Amino acid sequence: MTTQARSRRGGALSSRLDRPVVVAFACIVALLLLGSLYSRSFLSPDYLLQQLKVASFLGVIATGALIVILLGQIDLSVPWLVAVGGMMATAATAWGPIGAWLAIPFGVACGVALGLVNGFGVAYLRIPSMIVTLAVNAVAQGLMVVHTGGFSPQDSSSPAMRALATGSLAFGLPNAVIVWIGIGACAVFVLNRTTFGRSVYGIGNRERAAYLSGVDTQRIVLLAFALAGGLSAFGGVLLAGYASKAAQGMGDAYLLPAIASVVLGGASIMGGRGSYLGTVAGVVLITLLQSILSVVQMPDAGRQVIYGAVIIGMLLLYGREGAAR
Amino acid sequence: MTESEQGPPILRMEGVSKRYGGVRALENANLAVSAGRIHAILGENGAGKSTLIKILAGVVAPDEGRIALDDREVAFGAPADASRAGIVCIFQELSLVPDLSVADNIAIVNPPTRFGMIDRRAQRRVAEAALARAGAEDVHPMALVKDLPLSRRQMVEIAKALARAPRILILDEATSALTAADVAKVFVVLKRLRDEGLALLYISHRMHEIAELADECTVFRNGSNVATYPAGTKSDAEVVELMIGRELSAVFPPKPRQRTASATPLLDVRRLSWTNRLRDVSFHVETGEVVGLGGLDGQGQRELLLALFGVLRGVTGEVRVAGRAVAPASPHAAKSTAIGMALIPEDRKTEGLMLPMSVGANLSFAALDRVSRAGVLDRDREGKLVRQMMDLLAIRAGSIDIPVGALSGGNQQKVVIAKWLMAEPRIILLNDPTRGIDVATKQEIYQLLRKLADAGAAILFYTTDYSELIGCCDRALVIYDGAIRRVLVGEEITERALVASALNIDSDTGVVAGGAS
Repeated sequence: MTTQARSRRGGALSSRLDRPVVVAFACIVALLLLGSLYSRSFLSPDYLLQQLKVASFLGVIATGALIVILLGQIDLSVPWLVAVGGMMATAATAWGPIGAWLAIPFGVACGVALGLVNGFGVAYLRIPSMIVTLAVNAVAQGLMVVHTGGFSPQDSSSPAMRALATGSLAFGLPNAVIVWIGIGACAVFVLNRTTFGRSVYGIGNRERAAYLSGVDTQRIVLLAFALAGGLSAFGGVLLAGYASKAAQGMGDAYLLPAIASVVLGGASIMGGRGSYLGTVAGVVLITLLQSILSVVQMPDAGRQVIYGAVIIGMLLLYGREGAAR
Repeated sequence: MTESEQGPPILRMEGVSKRYGGVRALENANLAVSAGRIHAILGENGAGKSTLIKILAGVVAPDEGRIALDDREVAFGAPADASRAGIVCIFQELSLVPDLSVADNIAIVNPPTRFGMIDRRAQRRVAEAALARAGAEDVHPMALVKDLPLSRRQMVEIAKALARAPRILILDEATSALTAADVAKVFVVLKRLRDEGLALLYISHRMHEIAELADECTVFRNGSNVATYPAGTKSDAEVVELMIGRELSAVFPPKPRQRTASATPLLDVRRLSWTNRLRDVSFHVETGEVVGLGGLDGQGQRELLLALFGVLRGVTGEVRVAGRAVAPASPHAAKSTAIGMALIPEDRKTEGLMLPMSVGANLSFAALDRVSRAGVLDRDREGKLVRQMMDLLAIRAGSIDIPVGALSGGNQQKVVIAKWLMAEPRIILLNDPTRGIDVATKQEIYQLLRKLADAGAAILFYTTDYSELIGCCDRALVIYDGAIRRVLVGEEITERALVASALNIDSDTGVVAGGAS
């Protein structure tokens, strides 16, 4: 009754600001206030900008995760697609000046290629995404071990990569944040204003209905996984730029945070529901949580426990709301 | 109600009614079943047969009325209650788990256990006994169900039901997957079970099977029992007479005069076949024509629509659209402007709509090409077309931004139709589009179909409601067992002709046509 009345009054507004997104932003504020009790510096612009910069790497990767989750699928190949992006970009840099120019597009292209394999497996071979992407993750890992011989690659990142990841524009706004804003704007446009985005939501809601509506569902799924692969690899490119070089396992810490930030941002893991704004909130929330846990010098084991518990707790909150509707 | 001469009935239903929303499925229905008898239930689509079975099996609860077993009133909250009381159903759709063995399947509800573990040897004995009782000794209890042919699986299904020691066995179209030889075997088993003292309720649309098997028959019409008589005392023509008589509740738009056939019909289908569900189906639909698909439920009408729309794999035969041979491999291809086909699906909740998405997004979903340029949505154009469609079909929604799931069933169905009209199809396939919606909306849909046909569309319209075939269609194709049994044109479309041909009986002579398939 009340939800219907509310949505009738301001349909556009309430659909853009649905409850989980508001909850996620409220949690961000609460975390900051909590942190400021521990140390004043939690509210300083320097700290906040630093957090945004760290968040932007996760933000780029989570963008791909959101698209795949909206489809009702999942991409578990994030860790090694991130590594592929970083390692291939640094490898290209080592080829000389032309390679340095090509570093970023080459790294992203490798991610797109592996994403296409994911998409082909899911859309055309009808293998569950959980299996295909896990397998592609293993394949990517194997390829990278062959490429590096199992050691951390010695190639360093190109100047452009470093500039994107560590530089900053006027007013001290980090370039990485600007990159994230750019990618975010594109994602919002693609999801809300294109036939591709509309089809993604449709497939996530009810694939059968989308198929019977004459949408080429296989092509959309293929494209979505390719996009997600490219974005994971681009995240790796940025990370390699940030650390000046790529490393084995550099993407391992991004799989759960990427999926968690999408889900904490109110997207349904079953697909069809979720917004980019929510993912932004989820990314910032996760980044802050990680930062605060490390600032209070929580040992790593405890950090993992709290981190997982918070995610389960928030999902319970959303799940309850869904059942009440 | 006639009392059977075989002593008091063990099962008695009195004054049972059931409504689904505004639709009454059963209205004051009575039925008495005696032990040691085979009782056949007859009736056309929507007569209430399935609801009756569901109530007896404990799948749905009746709104009113009482069910008495051995003169004790019972109320089943769940299928397990009915099963415990000795009522067991064999449904048309097989309920076996393909990757388990025959024995596992037979004992799946109540496996024999030892120390809490399934006792495999005892299970095998139970299965062997049940298979023997079902006359299927040739099935090995350790064979996997997926390795058995369909007819053997149906025998296992019967054995599984017998393993639960039923007193009342309900068979719902249980022989439709069987070959004639298997049917004969099943009949021997059923007659033996009857002689052992079981009560059998037998639902079938095959008149010759009923004639061979049943002791008693009850005819249902419009949710009520209209006659109970000893088998063999009425001719087929008399039975058809009992089954018809559904009131025409809706008002239909006038049909145009007879048209002259054009040289190239808009949709021309030749010898379409698919597995054993469609057999050499040939027909055509002219521009401006509404052609109905009739027959009893589940005779291949749905498969025919899906085959035309490119959903099914392995379809043989030829489809021509405006004279050009086409073979759409997916709905995406069928929708393309070269073919211009639309399918209004059967189940709006899982096939037609994305319930949580907005009315507007649902309406434009099948016509995204029309409201976008280079893949970018043109919101103004989308809004304009959406509003046009909402006006055309008089869709009542508070706003185009509310989720379509918040609309009433009738309005949801209008959205499904409107979303396809937005794609501007020239061939419109409809799969039972008026099921479960209110009379007022139904009439709006009838008007719309005629309007679309007049505007130059070819419409192929499957409905389970005979009055719609009579009121809406220029021609009606009656499907029986995957083939076109009869084509009725104009004035020939009467309820008597439809029921008779749906049952595969020649209505003029009352002689059973076709025989066992």
